[in-house]
Amino acid sequence: MSAGQPPLDSPEIRRLTPVLGPGHTYASVTDKISAIVLTRPTSLGWFIGFGIAFSVVGMLTVALAWLIIKGVGIWGISIPIGWGFAIVNFVWWIGIGHAGTLISAILFLLNQKWRTSINRFAEAMTLFAVACAGIFPLIHTGRPWMAYYMFPYPSTMGIWPQFRSPLIWDVFAVSTYGTVSLLFWYVGLIPDLATLRDRAIERPAKIIYGMLSMGWRGSARHWHRYQSSYLLLAGLATPLVLSVHTVVSFDFAVAIVPGWHTTIFPPYFVAGAIYSGFAMVLTIAIPLRKVYGLQDFITMRHLDNMAKVMLATGLIVAYGYFVEFFMSLYSGNKFDLYLVKMRLHGPYAPYYFALIVCNILIPQLLWFYKMRHNVVVLFLMSIVVNIGMWLERFVIIVISLTRDFVPSAWGRYSPTFWDWATFIGTIGLFVMLIFLFVRVLPAISIAEMRELVAETSEEDK
Amino acid sequence: MVSPKTAQKLGVGHNVAGSGGEHGKIYSDVAEISLANSKVTAAMWILPGQAEGTVVLPLGYGRTRAGYTGSNKGFNAYAVRTSNALWATGASSSAIRKTGDDYPLACTQYHFNMEGRQILATGTLEEYRKNPNFANEHAELPPKELSLYKGEAEFPYNRDKWAMAIDLNQCNGCSACVVACQSENNIPVVGKDQVMRGREMHWIRVDRYYSAQSPTNDPSSYSAALDNPETFFQPVPCQQCENAPCEQVCPVGATAHSAEGLNDMVYNRCVGTRYCSNNCPYKVRRFNFLRFQDWETPQLKLMRNPEVTVRSRGVMEKCTYCVQRINTGRIEAEKQNRPIRDGEIVTACEAVCPTQAIVFGNANDPNSRVAKLRAQQRNYSLLGELNARPRTTYLAAVRNPNPELENS
Amino acid sequence: MLHRSHIHGVMGEFATPEELIHAAKKVREAGYRHLDAYAPFPVEGLSEALGIKRNLVPVLTLLGGLTGGVGGFFFQYWVAAITYPMNIGGRPLNSWPAFVPVTFELTVLGAALSAVFGMLALNGLPQPHHPVFNVERFSHATTDRFFLCIEARDPKFHLEETARLLHSLHAHHVNEVADD
Repeated sequence: MSAGQPPLDSPEIRRLTPVLGPGHTYASVTDKISAIVLTRPTSLGWFIGFGIAFSVVGMLTVALAWLIIKGVGIWGISIPIGWGFAIVNFVWWIGIGHAGTLISAILFLLNQKWRTSINRFAEAMTLFAVACAGIFPLIHTGRPWMAYYMFPYPSTMGIWPQFRSPLIWDVFAVSTYGTVSLLFWYVGLIPDLATLRDRAIERPAKIIYGMLSMGWRGSARHWHRYQSSYLLLAGLATPLVLSVHTVVSFDFAVAIVPGWHTTIFPPYFVAGAIYSGFAMVLTIAIPLRKVYGLQDFITMRHLDNMAKVMLATGLIVAYGYFVEFFMSLYSGNKFDLYLVKMRLHGPYAPYYFALIVCNILIPQLLWFYKMRHNVVVLFLMSIVVNIGMWLERFVIIVISLTRDFVPSAWGRYSPTFWDWATFIGTIGLFVMLIFLFVRVLPAISIAEMRELVAETSEEDK
Repeated sequence: MVSPKTAQKLGVGHNVAGSGGEHGKIYSDVAEISLANSKVTAAMWILPGQAEGTVVLPLGYGRTRAGYTGSNKGFNAYAVRTSNALWATGASSSAIRKTGDDYPLACTQYHFNMEGRQILATGTLEEYRKNPNFANEHAELPPKELSLYKGEAEFPYNRDKWAMAIDLNQCNGCSACVVACQSENNIPVVGKDQVMRGREMHWIRVDRYYSAQSPTNDPSSYSAALDNPETFFQPVPCQQCENAPCEQVCPVGATAHSAEGLNDMVYNRCVGTRYCSNNCPYKVRRFNFLRFQDWETPQLKLMRNPEVTVRSRGVMEKCTYCVQRINTGRIEAEKQNRPIRDGEIVTACEAVCPTQAIVFGNANDPNSRVAKLRAQQRNYSLLGELNARPRTTYLAAVRNPNPELENS
Repeated sequence: MLHRSHIHGVMGEFATPEELIHAAKKVREAGYRHLDAYAPFPVEGLSEALGIKRNLVPVLTLLGGLTGGVGGFFFQYWVAAITYPMNIGGRPLNSWPAFVPVTFELTVLGAALSAVFGMLALNGLPQPHHPVFNVERFSHATTDRFFLCIEARDPKFHLEETARLLHSLHAHHVNEVADD
């Protein structure tokens, strides 16, 4: 930044990289966003993408069926590595979901206008990520048909779940998170569903949107209570962003396994979750705005801000790695010290170094304005970060389990074809759900964009 | 089998496989051995302590018509055995030629180095005389009174307090305990492929450690310390910890602690999350990854012990201190209205051990053998610093080697 | 011409939120009390202009959260210490630190469910039909137009005068809303 340039936060610069492209009215934003759903013909690209995703979901179905038929032994897990890809993927997907809620809830409470055009599809991303994540705790059990034992219900044996176990905390945390996210997303959708009901041309569409919008008519009395509940939901979802991944981190931090039993995990995991989540939001936002011409709504300012959040959380994650490393050395605990040695020199050391490169080194490019404003760089960066975050969970779970207390039990883990099939299958499921979402629901919150039009026209006056 | 030094000379080595690894699969170089005008191809196994310059060929394998279990397993050493050299013969090192192939061998413990941890406490007689308590001083053991919990006030264990003491001086690694446990508890045989994936089901295992101060754990990277190491064996069953880390993390409460101190595994409640196995520091829990039991063959049904549940797919299992024998003993004693006598309940491993290294009994009975062994200073808990409070304790090995043997 | 008993009210259409708020204030000054406004997004200042104060959603949310939290904690205590106490690794039966995560999550869940279902119930939703949908132009209420409806049940309601009032406030269209 040269000396003559005004500071990046000044009104002049704000006007150059606005939150909303110029010249929009209530009608134009409504038209543009609802057209994607109602009037624009479904492109060949959509069909191709959906078709590929759908066939990958077919592979997922086969992988899950074979798992139920044969047993969890089709995966690469063993004693001592009782958890492999399934739990790595579970934590990865849940982590990705957290950014949507942060954008919807926390940025709302902080009055950040730039959340408006991204919160709808980000929250949808959260729901689909939680759906993909939720598959794994159910199927990774040896007897998934009895997984309902983990839920509290009055049983004939009079027995209930064991509430001291972090897996039960997970059940409640992830269920609450899924439910609250769904409610928050749906409440936000109600006015938009009403818009689609009123603008839909085909009768079946009118009926379905009509039922889903519950007869919403935009009454001021209703808006009054709606605003109240929306604010409360935002306030409730905010602690969820922090607590859900904390509870997931307890799966590891509460265990005694060296490399897992560390108090840095809750903030480290939450920061990592937001990191990978924003990366996934970028992975979705960049193609979305290009394909549907939404650059006026998802502007460079949005991409810039998301990149900044990624950089910030990436630095927190880097700090977390440093603390882990330092505390293991400083503690003098021989089990932890050995684990540091294993991460740096052991059989899985290449994954650890790949993780450092993907999560810490490459994202430092985001310090540079030009990098943050280059759409291709951002897209590639978001994929690199997600790969890095997956590697992080792999390193934490697998290396610690292969090298724990008693050396006679040390082993190695290698994923099988079915491990990969299930993982890629859930990616396909996620992509398929995103495609469906974009086709039938407004990818950007129309009502909130109208509010933004009102606010920005206020500012310009 | 060859010694590490010989292996280095021959250029053969091991590679730890990526799947199973040190607890499953080791790739060994294959060599062709030519003796008496015939050849046999065999995978080489490097064994520290094997005499230098010798190669051992086991007889009896490589059969082609021995039914489902026996056919085509291993190599047939009879091919190079002649009547004028029935047990041993000399040959030059050119008789052994590396073929360049490798072969996967199933090995459940490749890592023999304790990595500076006191797993198996050993000492010489002088060390023991100087400090009889040497086994309990490697790490700071947490004092029993220091706890946020009410501890013994909440769970007093004042009935029969089952405990087991394993004397490491007596154990010679014969593995009869492993076989007995398998017969008693209907433990399935999983086959070589599953063992190579790290899924063997034995509830008790005998760990083997070398006392050499070797910088490497791998016998195929030769170090002089591995030429003549001292070998120690340690049977590791479920330690039945009072503060069991496995019990706390089970989401459905499938593993709980009985009033007599047994860590009860409830098969019908287990949904198979495997968190308990992850959290077990001793890794004594075994999981049925697939349906390892044979439900179909009628003869195998006769083989099974009717007093023990046969576990199906997806449940965790582990040593139970032969709870079926404990219950039988308790029922008999109650019928006769008397307390259980010491030695009346004998676990399968204890019954078959040829050196009586395993002793089981009631630690609350001051006259029982196990209580007396637990009172000895040699007595220590495996990884006691973790405060899991295991009921299975070990008596440290005290060696008194003849100085003449040492120096030769 | 619809009789008074067959109409729900008179509705005026406006093009900007400022016009709507101005109109609402004037209508209330004229003494009307049974009115409602319709907008495609929540307009700031509209609730005050209409005199809407009461909102029970926060109270319901608080009650829901407390029920979830207190209920959740005591449920875990009941399970662990009263109905099926088990010795789990020597941990105390009343492991209250371990009960905190589930308690917290149930608090949030209880509050969120109360907020959402409370809001829907208080709003009377789902309500598939309402008289204002009878006005064809009302479909713009969810796009870019703002409506003010003065209901016939208001004591000051008089069809021509009320309609004239709305015209005088620059309503673009004034419609009678049929009741059904």
